[in-house]
Amino acid sequence: MPQQLRVVGQHVGKEAPLALTNKPYVKLEQITKSYGAHTVLRDVNLSVHSGGVLAIIGPSGSGKSTLLRCINYIEPPNKGIVTVGDVTIEGETPVSRRDLRALRSKLGMVFQSFNLFPHLTVLRNITLAQERVLGRTSAEAELIAMQLLTRVGLADKAAQYPSRCSGGQQQRIAIARALALDPKVMLFDEPTSALDPELGLEVLSVMRELATSGMTMIVVTHEMSFAENVSDHVAIMADGCILEYGPSREVIRNPQSARARQFLRAVNER
Amino acid sequence: MNALLQGATWDDFTSWLPDLWSGFVLSIEVTIASLAVGLPLGLALALGVQTKAMLLRGICLAVVEIGRGAPALVLLQFIYFGLPSAGLPLTSFVSATIALGWSTGAYTSEIIRAGLDSVPGGHKEAVSALGLSRMDGLRYVILPQGLRVAVPALLGFSILVFQASSLCFTIALPELISRAYEIGTNTFFYFPALATAGLFYVAICMPASFLVSYVEHRAGAYAVR
Amino acid sequence: MLYQLGLILRGLPWTILITAVSLLIGCILGYPIMLGRNARSLPVRLVSIAFISLIRAVPPLVWLFIIFFGVGTGAFSMSPLTAALIGLGLIAATNMAEIYRGGLISIHHGQWEAAQALNLGGAHTFRDVIAPQMFRVALPSSATYAIGLMKDTAIASTIGVPELAYQGARLTQETFQGLKVFGMVGLIYILLSLPIAWLSRRADLYLRAKVAR
Repeated sequence: MPQQLRVVGQHVGKEAPLALTNKPYVKLEQITKSYGAHTVLRDVNLSVHSGGVLAIIGPSGSGKSTLLRCINYIEPPNKGIVTVGDVTIEGETPVSRRDLRALRSKLGMVFQSFNLFPHLTVLRNITLAQERVLGRTSAEAELIAMQLLTRVGLADKAAQYPSRCSGGQQQRIAIARALALDPKVMLFDEPTSALDPELGLEVLSVMRELATSGMTMIVVTHEMSFAENVSDHVAIMADGCILEYGPSREVIRNPQSARARQFLRAVNER
Repeated sequence: MNALLQGATWDDFTSWLPDLWSGFVLSIEVTIASLAVGLPLGLALALGVQTKAMLLRGICLAVVEIGRGAPALVLLQFIYFGLPSAGLPLTSFVSATIALGWSTGAYTSEIIRAGLDSVPGGHKEAVSALGLSRMDGLRYVILPQGLRVAVPALLGFSILVFQASSLCFTIALPELISRAYEIGTNTFFYFPALATAGLFYVAICMPASFLVSYVEHRAGAYAVR
Repeated sequence: MLYQLGLILRGLPWTILITAVSLLIGCILGYPIMLGRNARSLPVRLVSIAFISLIRAVPPLVWLFIIFFGVGTGAFSMSPLTAALIGLGLIAATNMAEIYRGGLISIHHGQWEAAQALNLGGAHTFRDVIAPQMFRVALPSSATYAIGLMKDTAIASTIGVPELAYQGARLTQETFQGLKVFGMVGLIYILLSLPIAWLSRRADLYLRAKVAR
């Protein structure tokens, strides 16, 4: 089902995302975020269609993680409009808890530092929110957790504590934990940056599988191969603005701005 | 509140002040004397427990472990009631100074040791590389750095020593609490007298501990860790 | 000597009782005090800070005197044991509050963020995610504090609770053998701290094996 929509997304050219004819599932409008006098995001507009996979790349400090964290209001933006499905939240107004819950129920998030709960077993990490947030029985929650653990290849770790798992395994568990709540969109905040390259690969392969299954994904990453080969769209950010946005290969192989070319050259030379 | 004040009047309070004040001065004196004994002892013990001479190290360890392990109140009574039975009668002030100094030395030796340990190992190597003697290295390189790290914790402990001076009540030293208690027994105004004494402690300890956390905060800003 | 030791040891149950009960009071009361200390509302926070600072600014012995002689002879009469438990319990509560707070501060902010992203909500986040880790981190310092509190119970002797130091003082008055008697008393306190330290180390190792942090 969302597969078709994704095909549509791939045909879209490099116009501003708001000019799209069909309605995007995630839409960020004029997102602005500053800490005191320091502005991290300036008037950022971005959208992702259902089933789309967007990679956000850019030099460190460009605001890409902050942008991602604004989507689920872990960092509330100072200004702007976040729309996810049928939920719309405006930055300036005080946000009601109900809206926040509705917004976050559509969004799963995976962090750079995994953030698994160290005092709970792997299984309990995945069942906790299912029971507390979705009201599933523990039997249901465990069944779903085991299915997801099998999917990420870690069914044998269910009874372990996270500290007994490698970084790559922890990150896959974190993905399973987020998926267990049936999110419509998965947000990934540099999911492989804290990992050795070979451990990063096992996480990337789970993410690739997730993308092929039709999950809508927004991925802040330094992995150029993921941006180029798995995501359908890429946004390059610098200094709190989006420099360039468009279909992955086009943007990566043929960047328009000098700043984007400079960044991509630096990445390729590494 | 009236039930607690027991009808004590303002004149009652003012009539107690000279007594409480002299008790307070004595409390401060015991504190200073204990610190004067305890801090150098703490430094000596900190170095002593790291020495290679087994006997000296054993003695230092025992002094530290007993000083930290036994309640200060028991140390106080051990010295005050115990030493006379060994033929060494002491005044309560001297007993208090010895006991609280012992306790201070035991605790501060740990604080100072932690401070010395925080000096990077490379500095010790640099000292020997420069051909400085161990004493000189300690004196000019290790101690100045290590003690600076220990200062906030030592200040914090000094407040505790002042509070511990209240224990001297049990060895008949007429310090602040003994005076307040005495007023209580004479007038039956126990609560007003004791609460006033409590306020003396508050007046010293509260600002002092805010000062210590400020110093801690400042030190934390550029501490080598 | 053995006879004297037996007399002193009559105080042991009292020492253990006061330590255990005031620690229990402290562990329970310390929790709301810590919550107040970290409250979002400024007045609540200020009141909590003032309360903690006040309790800590006055020496434990003075608190016991104020409670037992001050309040006890005026407003309500109470037994020495009750007064000791109230006083040491309150002191333990403020200290435990600060220990809990230390545990709370040490929790990585990613834990809060993950709970937020999972939509857990304030109450569940605290109960299921934060509090267990906070108690876990607080365990070693709580054990250290328990040993300190056990030694502080010696001051209950000054208001007539018949615990170890009290037995020591009484025996000294009868025998004039202060050196020996208080030597034994001090040794008992040191020995008492060993099982607490051992237990806490065991618990810490057990939890560390399960949950490395």
